[in-house]
This record gives sequence, C-alpha cells and structure tokens, in this order.
Amino acid sequence: MSKSSPRRFAGKSTGTVTVIEARVHRSSARNARVAFILTAVVVGVLAAVVAASYWHPIVALIVGALVGVPCGAAAWLLVRIWPVLRLLWWWITEVLLAVLLLTGWVQLAGHTPMVVTLLVVALVVGVPAAVPVIRRQVIAWAWCLVVRHRLRVCFAQFIIANQSGSLPLILWARPTPVGERVWVYLRPGLSAKDLEGRLDKIAVTCHASTVLIERAAENNAAYLRFDIKRREVLTAHVGSPLVDQIDPTAPVSASPLTVPTALDLPDVDAPTITLPAQGKPAGKKPAPTTSANGSKPAASSSAPEDDVSDWI
Amino acid sequence: MSTTVPAPVAGVPVGPGLSMFDPIFIGIDEFGQPVYLDVIYRNILIAGEPGGGKSGLVNNICGHGVLCDNTRLVLFDAKLVELGPWRDLADAFIGPDIDQGIDVLRRLLVVATNRYTWLLANRRRKLAPGDGMSVIVTIIDELAMYSTVLGTKPQQEEFSALLRGLVSLGRACGMPVVAATQRPSWDIIPASLRDLFGYRAAFRCTSLNSSNIILGQGWAEQGYTASDISPTNQGAAYLLAEGGVPRRIKAAYLSDTDIYNIADYAAWTRRPTSTPAGDTTGWEMAA
Ligand SMILES: Nc1ncnc2c1ncn2[C@@H]1O[C@H](COP(=O)(O)OP(=O)(O)OP(=O)(O)O)[C@@H](O)[C@H]1O
Ligand SMILES: [Mg+2]
Repeated sequence: MSKSSPRRFAGKSTGTVTVIEARVHRSSARNARVAFILTAVVVGVLAAVVAASYWHPIVALIVGALVGVPCGAAAWLLVRIWPVLRLLWWWITEVLLAVLLLTGWVQLAGHTPMVVTLLVVALVVGVPAAVPVIRRQVIAWAWCLVVRHRLRVCFAQFIIANQSGSLPLILWARPTPVGERVWVYLRPGLSAKDLEGRLDKIAVTCHASTVLIERAAENNAAYLRFDIKRREVLTAHVGSPLVDQIDPTAPVSASPLTVPTALDLPDVDAPTITLPAQGKPAGKKPAPTTSANGSKPAASSSAPEDDVSDWI
Repeated sequence: MSTTVPAPVAGVPVGPGLSMFDPIFIGIDEFGQPVYLDVIYRNILIAGEPGGGKSGLVNNICGHGVLCDNTRLVLFDAKLVELGPWRDLADAFIGPDIDQGIDVLRRLLVVATNRYTWLLANRRRKLAPGDGMSVIVTIIDELAMYSTVLGTKPQQEEFSALLRGLVSLGRACGMPVVAATQRPSWDIIPASLRDLFGYRAAFRCTSLNSSNIILGQGWAEQGYTASDISPTNQGAAYLLAEGGVPRRIKAAYLSDTDIYNIADYAAWTRRPTSTPAGDTTGWEMAA
C-alpha cells in the first residue's frame, strides 16, 4: 500500500492537469515527474519547518531542500520502476519458491557427495509424487498459483476496468474439493454485476468448467470470492456423520409386526379394495398414486395452466 | 417395546448429546463444503420426481432427530418402509390411516396452542433451548397420500387444514414440520399450505414448471432449475434455505443398515425414558 501511495498522489494531480487530453493514458514519465515534485516539496517543507526550530531559517531551508530532493528522487524512481515492481509482486511466490529450491539444491550439491544429493532429491520429489494425498495437495496448491495469474489475465485482457488500467487486487487463493477459491478486491470501475456477465469467459481463461462469484463481505461490495470449478462433487456418495456417533453393536430392538399374507394380486379379493372414490374425475385418479411413475410427467405437462393460475 | 430390548450387559450407553437446536448435517454443496439445516424454527418442503432421493433426505433428519435429547418424533409414512425403522422411537407413527393422522394432528395443534399460552404466561414469543420443553418434529413422507389418496374428500381436506394449522403455528413453539411429496402442485397440496414452508428442497424434476412449483416462481428463469439434475444422480437437489438463493447440494445417504443401526442404538440409549408409541401422557407432560 505504501508503495502505491506516491502513484496515487500523482494520479490525482495529473487528473486535474490533463483535462484537455483526458483520454490519453498518463505516461509513466509524467507520473514520475509529478511524484518527484510532490514528494520533494512536501518532504522539503516539513523538514524545513522542523529544522527551523533548531537553526536559522535559511539554514533550515537548505536542510529542507537537502532532505526533500533525495526523497523526491526516491519517489520518482519508485514510480518509474513501478511496472517492474508490480510484475515482481505478481510473481513473488514463484520467485521465492525458485530461489528456495535453487539455494537448497546448490547447498546440497556443495555439501554432500553426489549419491546423497541424488538420494535426497529423489526422496523430496518421489515421496510427494508417490503418495496420492500429498500429490493431490501439491497439484491443488499449484493450481492456486496458476489461477491467480489466469484471473489477472482476464482482468488485463478483456475486463477493462478504468482509464488508468488499475487491476483488481488478487488476494489469497486456496484449493477446494472442486477447484480453487480466490478472494479478489475490486478497484473502482468494476462491480460484481459486470463480472457476472463474463463468467463463461473467465472459466475459459482459467481452464475451468464454471466460475461462480459471491460477495465475500456483507458490508463491502468490492470484496469478492471467485469459486473456480474443475470437478463435480455432487455425483459423489455422501455418508452421514451420524453413523460415527453410534455404536453399531447396540442390541436389536423392534416391536413385533403382524405381516399380512396377501402378498400377491390373486390373494386379494376384489371387494376388499378400499381405495376410496375421489371427488375428482376418474381420469385423475391414477396420477397421485405412487406406483404410477409413468403418469407423472404426463400429469405435469397436462396441467401447466393450472399451475400458472395457482401462482396468482 | 422395552420388553424386546435386553438389558445392556457392558456399561450404560451414553447418548451422543445432539440437540434439535443443533444444525442438522444434510449433505455437501457443490464446493464439497458441508451443508447444515436449521430445522427447528423452519418448515421444510421436499419435493421431486419418484426416486429422486426425497426419502433419503427425510431419513437424515429422522436419524438426527432420534439421536437428539428431548426430541419427539411424529412420523407419517403411508409407504411404511421409509420411516418404519423409526416407528418404535416415534411418539406416533401413522401408516396409511388418515383417521389416525387427523387425530394426531389435532393433538399436536392442542399442544401448540398450550405452548403459546405457556409462552405468553412467561412473557415470551419463542421457545428457547433452555426451556426444557421437548421439540416435536412432524415428518411426513408422501404428503400426497394423505391429501389426495387415503380417506374421503372431507377427511383429506380436514387433514390439509389441520396440517396448515400446524405448519403456521408450530414454528416458534418448537414443533417444526418436514414434508416430502412428489409434486406439490395445487391439485395435490393446497397452495395455501405449500406456501407456508419456508425452506424448499427440489430434487430432480422433469420440467422447469415443476421446479418452479417447488422452489418458487422465477427461479428456473434465473437458471436454478431442478430439471437440469441428471436422472442418474439421485440425491442431488436444489436447496432454498439460508442465503436466499437455491444452492446445489447432494444429500447424505443412509443405507438400510445404517438406518437400522442408528434406530437400534437410539432405542438403546433412549430406553429408560422413552414413551411407548401411542402413550398419551407424554403429550400432557409436554403441554
Ligand atoms: N443421497 C443419495 N445418494 C445416493 N443415492 C441416493 C441418494 N438418495 C437416494 N438415492 C438412491 O435413490 C433411490 C431412491 O431414493 P428415495 O427412496 O429417497 O427416492 P424418493 O424420492 O423418496 O422416491 P419416492 O418418491 O418413490 O418415494 C434410493 O434407493 C437410493 O439408491
Ligand atoms: Mg420416498
């Protein structure tokens, strides 16, 4: 946040300066220049005011300039290399991982004989690859890394947010049983509604099957949750935790039942059928019986107007 | 009933300590997260085509109910087998007998009215877990059997009217209703009864229209339609509960063995205090 604050100042001030060329993207050089001037003046004046309580005002002014100009230069540099910093920030996890792995490898190779090195590498790579649970975890987290970049591609390529081209902040991502869940903080110019119309494109970009958006905070419309689905869990068989609550060896208990003997159609005499006559037309009678599975769709299609009127 | 249960030889069984005020686990959502349902202050209507998995969901609620402390079950099942395993644990188990059903509903309404009088006397409007009053869960599988098939027309109408009374009164006095039926259109259940159910679970339907009848009008147009559930994926449903938007869920499934194991265990733990089915004194105590 502190890194972006000089840029924000710059953006504000150029916003007022560049009214004539409103549609032109502000160049990085102009931003940097404004950042330099603003920072230098603000820091310089502050330093001068503080210094004035110790020294002569003229000395204080010189001290203010001496402090302000390097600070301004720092701000200028920051804004100039901001694109690079941003890029680094986006890839920081990968960069750190790579640095860690490489240092680990170099240290290992430098301090142990070849055989041990290879053995350790084989273990470090082989165990996660061989144990399905760990393998799935590693792959799931790898997808989390990938998906954050893919989402950024979406925002940069086809969800144009605002004139300055600021991208939403893509925050934390974590695996879910069906894919990934990513938290995103929108910048001005976008809303959840805008994104909802583009879910199919986002899904394509993320190599996923579907994407869902939900608000992550009740009181902040900018804070969203993206659910990226790659797998279907609803076809799985779900057990009930009640089964773990009980002791399956409990003694069997059941009240005795009198079981009827007329278990086949000829066993039941015609007059003993006690299904009562309905007040409805006879044609309707088979529909509600549970055995008439085939008649149900027919019933549903035959009575649409009834259902519609029913809603009024 | 207690005569058929042999005395426990090794130790005294301890109840799992569930309560009807706890959320009930009913399955997972499309992200694999568990879905819980607060049945206690809500009435839920479960509908969908035959073989969609309605009874599976109803049995989850039953299974939770029997393992709960201070909970009474009133079961209606014209098909006998779906809720039959819980018959000894229920305070009333009504098979294909609408007269008995009407009697029980009348008793339930008296209890509800008495409870409200009690709440009024205690300057309250809603039952709380600390009241020590039992929760009476009414579970109906195949509601259509009672409202359209069994009995005479006046009986069916009386049944529907009494049930409507229970559904509208029961919520705040700890007497929720869970009802399952295949298609809750007006010719099967009066719309005035159907619309009182706050929560809806739509298992697979054959048409957008059927799905709309269950979930409420307009959801199919917004893409929430139970007709897009695959017929082979039994137990998948749209649940309209907390959150206000239908959620795709997969109901947990209890096999027959699981159900009978739970029922046996519940009978074992409830043994010293359980009231035999049809015992009226329990109702007076609760009221
Ligand atoms: N949650 C589930 N997971 C897996 N399979 C299920 C699930 N629910 C139901 N089934 C399967 O579907 C079959 C029918 O389910 P169930 O008896 O619950 O349907 P139903 O909707 O009650 O049908 P009916 O309307 O005829 O009573 C079950 O025998 C079971 O094999
Ligand atoms: Mg059923």
